Amino acid sequence: MTLDYGFIWTAFVALLDVVPVTLAITVVSVLCGFVIGASVALARQFRVPVLSQLGAAYVTFIRGTPMITHLLLIYFGLPMLIDSVAAALGLSFRSVSIPMIGFAYVSFSITAGAYMSEVVRSGLLAVDRGQLEAAHAVGMTTAQAMKRIILPQALAASLPNLSNMLIGMLHGSTLAFTVSVVEINAKAQIVATTNWKFFEAYLAAALLFWGLTFLIERLTALAERRFRRYYRGGVS
Amino acid sequence: MMSFDIAAVLDYLIKLLPAIRITLVIVASSILLGLIVGTLVALPQLYNIPVLKRLSQLYLSFFRGTPILIQLFLFYYGLPELLKLVAVDAARVPALYFVILTYALHSGAFMAEMIRAAVAAVDRGQVEAAYAVGMSGLQVFWRIVLPQAIATALPVFANLTIANLKDTSLAFTLGVMELTGKSQTLGVMSRQFLETYAALAILYFILSFVLERLFHLLERRMSRKGLAGI
Repeated sequence: MTLDYGFIWTAFVALLDVVPVTLAITVVSVLCGFVIGASVALARQFRVPVLSQLGAAYVTFIRGTPMITHLLLIYFGLPMLIDSVAAALGLSFRSVSIPMIGFAYVSFSITAGAYMSEVVRSGLLAVDRGQLEAAHAVGMTTAQAMKRIILPQALAASLPNLSNMLIGMLHGSTLAFTVSVVEINAKAQIVATTNWKFFEAYLAAALLFWGLTFLIERLTALAERRFRRYYRGGVS
Repeated sequence: MMSFDIAAVLDYLIKLLPAIRITLVIVASSILLGLIVGTLVALPQLYNIPVLKRLSQLYLSFFRGTPILIQLFLFYYGLPELLKLVAVDAARVPALYFVILTYALHSGAFMAEMIRAAVAAVDRGQVEAAYAVGMSGLQVFWRIVLPQAIATALPVFANLTIANLKDTSLAFTLGVMELTGKSQTLGVMSRQFLETYAALAILYFILSFVLERLFHLLERRMSRKGLAGI
């Protein structure tokens, strides 16, 4: 096998151009997913009547189906929904004006939200119940106790899961090529079509993803040190 | 203006049923192969073998650090080239085999982690106690460590299998006609994309639900037999 090392480098440099797109999809979906997930987790935790059942159904459905089906359903379903609503309200807005990446943002946020709600839930469960009771006992309201006592500890406990989630969404962003968003995977394909050196192009893409994943792992390790500072353990 | 045709969803649901076979073939064979690969990769870590340990760490890091879609393309384009070196012509090998191989190597990495964690979870004292009553190394592993390790590993194994099922939806990128590939052709032919993909999502949901139930039953059964008696 003759590997064209020069082309691996060329492809790598070309792929660097679209790293912001991949990162944008990852960050947007994880952040929006966190908001959705936290809302669902809190609704289920505090057993809000209708919302908790809806949340449970949402989480079960999303976790039981592949991420690509969410993307395809949103890509084909959302325009229909938006157009009929816009037509009913007499607005001039049409779904054609939504950029492709918008569909990736929406669908991946929905995907991330379901997984995130489990992350948040396990984080909340990791905090001892006595902590909330103690906070109440010293006169805090539930909101205060959540903000000052429960959430910081829950965050520290769920950091490893959050990191996995971030890596999962980074890897999942490669699916955006199905709705013609040019991220790293799509770009690798485009670069390779110029001279049919697919293997070299994907090797560059793999190295890039490997590097990004490594970076996320390092950053989480740093964050974990910072967030766990309160936790000394033992009796000293 | 199109509207959502519910009757069509049912129709596509039935049309997609035959494609379940390919999906399950990919899942079953890659999980089995992955279990073998995972065991092989986990062994150097469990027994602390110098050079092999580093190699298996590299393997784990690569397969967990890159998207499965990239791995799929990498093997599809790279492996035939690699095989040319040893004078094997893989140009005519169906894409399905590349898919199975990639998924086996991918889940192998996660299986290795599962096995390592499960064996590490068995209390050291159990092994010492077994040696103390005169068991051999093989007996200790077979009678004491393995049953307990399986009990801790089973829920993880269930998760990995279901994740693998969902990952098979990417095999269509290499032209394999599993569920997603089939539904895409159905969609293109009928132009009813939303209906076909709704049927697709429902099928995946049913499949993962059934798998989950089956693993749940298995877990219950094993704990009743006392195999998971911890």
